[in-house]
Amino acid sequence: MSERLWEILISSLPNLLLYCVKVTIPLTACIYALSLVLAFLLALVQVLNIRVLNRAARIYVWLFRGTPLIVQMYIIFFGLPSVGITLDAFPSAVIAFSLNYAAYMSETIRASIQAVPEGQTEAGYMIGLNYFQIMTRIVLPQAAKIAFPTLFGSLIGLTKDSSLAASITVVEMFKAAQQIAAKTFEPMALYCEVALIYLLLNTVLTSLQRYLEKRLSWRQPAVD
Amino acid sequence: MLEVKNLRCSYGTNQVLKDINFRVDKGEVIAIVGSSGSGKTTLLRSISFLHKADGGTIRFFDFEKEITRLKSAEIRQLRMRLGYVFQNFNLFRNMTVRQNVMEGLVTARHMDKEEARKITDEVLKKVDMLGRAEYYPDQLSGGQQQRAAIARSIAFRPDVLLLDEPTSSLDPELTREVLNILTRLAAEGITMVVVTHEMEFARNVADRVIFMEGGVVVEDAPAAEFFNRPRQEAAKRFLRTVTGDFG
Ligand SMILES: Nc1ncnc2c1ncn2[C@@H]1O[C@H](COP(=O)(O)OP(=O)(O)OP(=O)(O)O)[C@@H](O)[C@H]1O
Ligand SMILES: [Mg+2]
Repeated sequence: MSERLWEILISSLPNLLLYCVKVTIPLTACIYALSLVLAFLLALVQVLNIRVLNRAARIYVWLFRGTPLIVQMYIIFFGLPSVGITLDAFPSAVIAFSLNYAAYMSETIRASIQAVPEGQTEAGYMIGLNYFQIMTRIVLPQAAKIAFPTLFGSLIGLTKDSSLAASITVVEMFKAAQQIAAKTFEPMALYCEVALIYLLLNTVLTSLQRYLEKRLSWRQPAVD
Repeated sequence: MLEVKNLRCSYGTNQVLKDINFRVDKGEVIAIVGSSGSGKTTLLRSISFLHKADGGTIRFFDFEKEITRLKSAEIRQLRMRLGYVFQNFNLFRNMTVRQNVMEGLVTARHMDKEEARKITDEVLKKVDMLGRAEYYPDQLSGGQQQRAAIARSIAFRPDVLLLDEPTSSLDPELTREVLNILTRLAAEGITMVVVTHEMEFARNVADRVIFMEGGVVVEDAPAAEFFNRPRQEAAKRFLRTVTGDFG
C-alpha cells in the first residue's frame, strides 16, 4: 500500500472515531432506549388485550413493518415540513428509527410474553398472587430472558442501520467517511476503514451479549 | 368443609362434568380415580376457578355461593385457602426452590421475611428438599421438583390441598419419593383431594374414593369398601383393568 494511503487512513481514524462516539453511539442509544419503551407498551396493550388499544397497536405494527425505514425517514424529514412540522435531521432520524424499530421489537416482546407457559400463571394464582404480581414477578422476568437474544440482535442491527441516517443529512460516522472519501478520492480505503470500525463495535457488543446472557441465566453451578 | 353441588362444566359444546356433587371434610384424604378423559382434572380445575364452570354451587366453611356468580375478589380469597399441586409441577422457573416457597407467603400474604424464611425451611425439611433450597427448577429431577411444588402449596397452610396426578409424570422410583411425602402429610392430618392412578396409594392412604366416569361421580365410598366391594358395575370393570386382573 502506498504511503499516502496509510497517511489518509491514519489521519482520518481519529476523525471517524470522534463521529462514532459523538454521533453514531448517542444516536443508536437514543433510538434503542425509545424504541424499547414504545415496544414494551405496544406489546403490553396486546397481551392485556385492552380493546381499542390492542387494535391500534396491531395497525401500528402493520404500518411500520410494512413500509421501508428509509421512506419513513424521508416522510418525517422531507415530508413533514410541507405540513408545517420542521425537525432537525438528528431528531428526525431518532423518531423515524424509533417508530420503526418499536414495531419489530414489540413483536419480539409480545411473543416472548406469550411463550411463558400458562402453567406459570396458574401456579401464581394458586399461591394467591394477583394478576399484577404474576406479571411483574413471574411472567415478565421469564419473558425478558426469552426476548433478550433477539432484542440484543436488534441493538446490533441498529448500530449498523444507523448509517442510513446519513441519507437525511445526519453527519454520523458513515457520513463523515463519505466526506473524507470525497475530499481524498479514496472511497475504497475509507469505506473499508469505516466498515472495520462498525465490525469492531459489534464485536464488543457481541461479547457483552454473551456476558449478559450468562448473568441472566437461572442456573448456577451445582453446589455439590 | 368444602362442598360442591350440581357442578357442570364444558369445553365448548362438549359437556365434560355433568352434575357433580361431593364433599370434603376436615382431615379427610379423598382419592379421585377414573379412566382417562373422565373429567378428573377438569373437576379440580373448576373448583380452583382455573376453568370456568357452567354452573353449580360451592360451599367453603360457611361461605356459599353460585359458582358463576363469584367476584374476582372472592375467587382470590378462596384460592388463598386452597393449595394446588400440578401434574407437571409448574415451579416458577425464574426462582430458586426457596423463593418459590416464599413467594406465596411474602408477596401474596405480606408475611414478614424472617418468619416466611423460617416456615419455608420447615416445609422444605418436611419434603426433604432443604438441601436443594438454592437450586433452580431446571437443576432438579422431576421428583425433586414435585416435592418442592408440594412444599410451595402447603407453606401457607391451605385448608385443602388439591393434587392432580402428582406422580404421573415421574419414574417409579421418583413416584415413591413423592408418595412417601404425601403419606406423611396425610398422617399429619392435612386435608387432601388427590387425583391418582396409584391404586396402592389410594387403598392405603385415602379415607374415601370417588370414582368418576364420563363426567359423573359413579361411586363415592370409603376406600376399603370401594376396593373390596365396589357396588357399581363400572367401578368393578375399572378396578379389574387397573389391577390387571381380568379373571
Ligand atoms: N383444554 C381442553 N379443551 C377441550 N377439551 C378438553 C380440554 N381439556 C380436557 N378436555 C376434554 O374434557 C374431558 C375430560 O378431560 P380431563 O382432562 O378432565 O380428564 P381426566 O379425567 O383428567 O383424564 P386423565 O386421566 O387423562 O388426566 C376429555 O374428554 C377431554 O377430551
Ligand atoms: Mg387429568
